[in-house]
Amino acid sequence: MANTESLENVVLELRRGVIVLAALSQLGAPEYGYSLLKKLADLGLDVDQGTLYPLLRRLEAQGLLESVWKLEEARPRRYYVVSAEGKKLLPKLKKEWAGIVSVMDKMLS
Amino acid sequence: MNLIDRYVAEVGKHLLLVKGRKDIENELRSTLEDMLEERAQKAGEPADEAMQMELLKEYGAPGRVAETYNPNPYLIGPRIFPFFMFILKIVVAAVTLGLTIATGIQIMSASPMTAVDLLSTIGKGLLNIVSACIAAFGNLALVFALIERYAPASEFKMDEEKEWDPAALKKEPEPDDVKIWEPMLAIVFTFIALSIFNFNPQLIGIYYLDGNKWHVLPLLSEAFFRWLPLMNIAWVAEIVLNGMLLRSGKWTTSTRLVSIATKLFQMVILGLLIAGPSILALTPDSLQAAGVNDLEALNILETMADKGLDIILGLAIFGSLVEIIKSIYKMVTQK
Repeated sequence: MANTESLENVVLELRRGVIVLAALSQLGAPEYGYSLLKKLADLGLDVDQGTLYPLLRRLEAQGLLESVWKLEEARPRRYYVVSAEGKKLLPKLKKEWAGIVSVMDKMLS
Repeated sequence: MNLIDRYVAEVGKHLLLVKGRKDIENELRSTLEDMLEERAQKAGEPADEAMQMELLKEYGAPGRVAETYNPNPYLIGPRIFPFFMFILKIVVAAVTLGLTIATGIQIMSASPMTAVDLLSTIGKGLLNIVSACIAAFGNLALVFALIERYAPASEFKMDEEKEWDPAALKKEPEPDDVKIWEPMLAIVFTFIALSIFNFNPQLIGIYYLDGNKWHVLPLLSEAFFRWLPLMNIAWVAEIVLNGMLLRSGKWTTSTRLVSIATKLFQMVILGLLIAGPSILALTPDSLQAAGVNDLEALNILETMADKGLDIILGLAIFGSLVEIIKSIYKMVTQK
């Protein structure tokens, strides 16, 4: 029981660390929150709404994302897209990620 | 207002202090409608209230959802909490000390005082201390809550965040360190003893009710008060010693020497009290005057009181001796 709980907690921490990069990587074109959530899930990364939406707002506040409200199918939706600053940061983050993966591969192989 | 609107409004109630609340509400509504639409399409039937219920249940309680949007869930966050505690301790200590001294002065200036007056003044003093400490805590918490809310981490940096030096790490607590409350308590109680024995000695006695009136039977005889000037010197020395400890924050050779001298002086006084005439004013005569009539019992009581007092004074001498030996040992082993 305690082991399962510990595993879940560690997996949660690991996922939390990659969500920022995952979201930034998928927002080259505008997406609204729910569509991004589904896109990430289709690619194999299940993210809780309670984690993704506040994260999008935080990234926008940091200037890495931009958002705009659009009216579609009589429903307003907030679309997010990577900002100019976010575009500059993304390659650096990808490089950092590649470095982490390489180091961890060495450690775990 | 449908169920989703009510749910969004409920989440909004928890976000009153969060920036962009309306925006969050609109985005939440839009997301929930998207999710509901998708479910209805999968089920092949229009969305009904049961479907909404199921969706909202899965999405989570409004309070918990709102919590994820709150970037600063603390009244006083971990960044400034240690500083808050540091200031709080100083403020509470200062308020307690200040009001205790004020109460002591009030007791001294109201001489002569009855026991009821004394108890009522002490009671009021204690209540004042408690309410002043609670008020100080509240005000301080308010100030720190405002700092937490309006001073962003980037603009408000604590000293240790600016430039941290590992050399500043606190060393192991030194055995010579003095806990600040110990000398403070000693000063307060010595001050109280000084004021009662010198200004309101009539309060020291046995209280008994005769009819509707309280009477006091003096406990200490003239023989005791003959030594009062010497005791005053010992008490003043005790206050001076504790003042020195408060100032230096640790035991030094000089404070230990003062402590040994004070303890020796106290031993001499205690010895004089044992050797001299009885310091108890409780005699068979005075007890009889108070209404105790069994003569044999009175004699036994007087003997027991005298012997008991001698034992107590003897123990006090022994205690002082132990303290002196401890001080000498620490002085010798001091690095």
